[in-house]
Amino acid sequence: MKKLLIALASATALLASSAVAQEKIKIGAAPYGLNAEFMQIWAAALQEHPAVKSGEVELTVFDGRYDALVQQDQFKTMITQKYNAIIFAPIDVDAGAAAVQSAVDAGIPVIGSNTRVNSDQLTSYVGSDDTISGYMEAKAVLDKIGCKGNVVILEGPVGQSAQISRLEGNKKALAECPDVKVLEDQTANWSRAEAQTLMENWLTSHPKQINGIIGQNDEMALGAIEAIKAAGLDEKSFAIAGIDGITDALRAVKAGEMTSILQDARAQAQGALDLAIFQAKKGEYKPQSDIWTTYKDMPWNDGKDKNYNVPWTPVTAENVDKLLATRK
Amino acid sequence: MPNHSSTYPPEQGQSVRPATEEPAVPAQDNNSAGGWLGSDRRRLMVQEYGIFLAFLLLVVILSFSNEFFLTAGNISNVLLQTSINGVLAIGMTFVILTRGIDLSVGSVVALAGIVSASVSTTSATAGVIGSPYPVAVGLSVGLLVGMACGSISGVIVSRFSVPAFVATLGMLSAARGLTLIYGGGRPVPALTPAFRWIGTGDVVGVPAPVILLAAVFALSWWILNRTRFGRYIYAVGGNPHAAKTSGINTIRIRFLVYVISGGLAGLAGMLLSARTGSGLPQAGVAYELDAIAAVVIGGTSLSGGVGRVTGTLIGALIIGVMNNGLDLMGIQSYYQQVLKGALIVGAVMLDQKRNFGA
Repeated sequence: MKKLLIALASATALLASSAVAQEKIKIGAAPYGLNAEFMQIWAAALQEHPAVKSGEVELTVFDGRYDALVQQDQFKTMITQKYNAIIFAPIDVDAGAAAVQSAVDAGIPVIGSNTRVNSDQLTSYVGSDDTISGYMEAKAVLDKIGCKGNVVILEGPVGQSAQISRLEGNKKALAECPDVKVLEDQTANWSRAEAQTLMENWLTSHPKQINGIIGQNDEMALGAIEAIKAAGLDEKSFAIAGIDGITDALRAVKAGEMTSILQDARAQAQGALDLAIFQAKKGEYKPQSDIWTTYKDMPWNDGKDKNYNVPWTPVTAENVDKLLATRK
Repeated sequence: MPNHSSTYPPEQGQSVRPATEEPAVPAQDNNSAGGWLGSDRRRLMVQEYGIFLAFLLLVVILSFSNEFFLTAGNISNVLLQTSINGVLAIGMTFVILTRGIDLSVGSVVALAGIVSASVSTTSATAGVIGSPYPVAVGLSVGLLVGMACGSISGVIVSRFSVPAFVATLGMLSAARGLTLIYGGGRPVPALTPAFRWIGTGDVVGVPAPVILLAAVFALSWWILNRTRFGRYIYAVGGNPHAAKTSGINTIRIRFLVYVISGGLAGLAGMLLSARTGSGLPQAGVAYELDAIAAVVIGGTSLSGGVGRVTGTLIGALIIGVMNNGLDLMGIQSYYQQVLKGALIVGAVMLDQKRNFGA
């Protein structure tokens, strides 16, 4: 058996590059769940990667169904089926670590994408720093109201990593405007309907006092806009911001109703896939996605970096049409 | 029998509850209102007013705690925010009266919401071919989708004798999946103003969803209290066996209550889409719990045959008023959840005491 392995290994070495190029690389992607628009854009971007389209890479996307246990089982599947590399967007910061460990023990490199995991075993991570987006969106609101007045914050589900980091960013920006008062600060669980109800009630309890609305995601900012419209007020007299750049939010930006900070799902996905192929091919690979030329601030660095920070892009009147064109 | 008072008509439904082993005499056609005994009537009033007094107490407390609570704008808001849960809870009342449960309403809200949105959107990419259709088409489609889901649950429960909990749990999962398949997991934006009117419009200051809720309530009250079908619902829930032997088509009754619940969930889904301005695939998650809570707080027994739709409406209002009041006072929503939990359990404890302890 051992001899056979050695023989196989040397044969592979002999055939070297040509054989590797022929053999399909199997890469598994394990996103936490595919129910929301962001992760769908992420998964679609993987399928549109040049290496997948050319057939060089065989890609399988596993829907984690928002369950850490489901993700762990999917890792087991990928390990038994001998995938060459795994792209991982865990649902839970801590629960994902065990899954990463099991893959690494089996000799499969794991590339993180979008959400973080408490593990030093990730080969690389491609994502965006939520504290930065939290800061950017709060800053956009505060700039518009001239660093004075009152704001409300619509938070994500308390305890989720994005909520914690975005709030940290919100607070950093608010600290720069000591005259601004935070009237209300509550979770609407990323939900448009919940944010709408909350905002209706806040407009009642703080009549004509709210100047700015910091929504930690676009859905909630959009809910706030609906509440304002329903109350017969002019949404353009408020400073409203959200994060993610979902399609509805892009339309609202175009209509001049809000500001959004785009989280580039495509770059997070394709960047991670390039790194996964790079690892699967043991370094014999040049990245194929155009994102490396788009983002000058995020150099490829020969695939050696531990962290790749995809920059956030503020959605403006200038770039909104171009962004909308990418959404079918 | 102590729980006479909580049901209408008092001489049927509840008097055939199995615990009592009384001979079953369900569903007579005489006008039951005339048959009320004085003491029963008094009891009924005490109980009716009990939940109503609790509601008034809550309103009084909130009025003193917050200056904005009792303003016209806020009252309109509370009613608006109660409308969706109110519609769902009324549908749920029909089902629970027959000893059933409908866990699928939240998912049906999402499915009907997104399907009706897709025929009412001006967006070229998100809608079905030919969209936007006239508002009547959108409304019919939403209602039909809800009723179709309800029919499936209804057939499975009534014909195949699958426990309602299981059948509607299946529908909860399936309808959510269908929602994601249908919409590709993306929201359907840009609904026509005509469609949005049912969620955002008003008639002389009364929001359209509130008018719809009032209409649904009035119709349901009439069905449950003034029609033979309504009496049959109580009879089937009070003692299914007795109802069957006395010639009621229990399969048909049990089927129809799920169609009603599904149809009202469809209506609620359209209200939600019209209110938020888009069909949302994640809409309605856990809405069934608030609907069941409203029914239970309103005094309807989960063991069937006993309960009133008026109580359900007040139950929904209590939940709506509580959420609104706590929002106005700036209290974290986590406390709202704890309070709601206490309220549900408290209401049922009172009910138990009234029925078996007193």
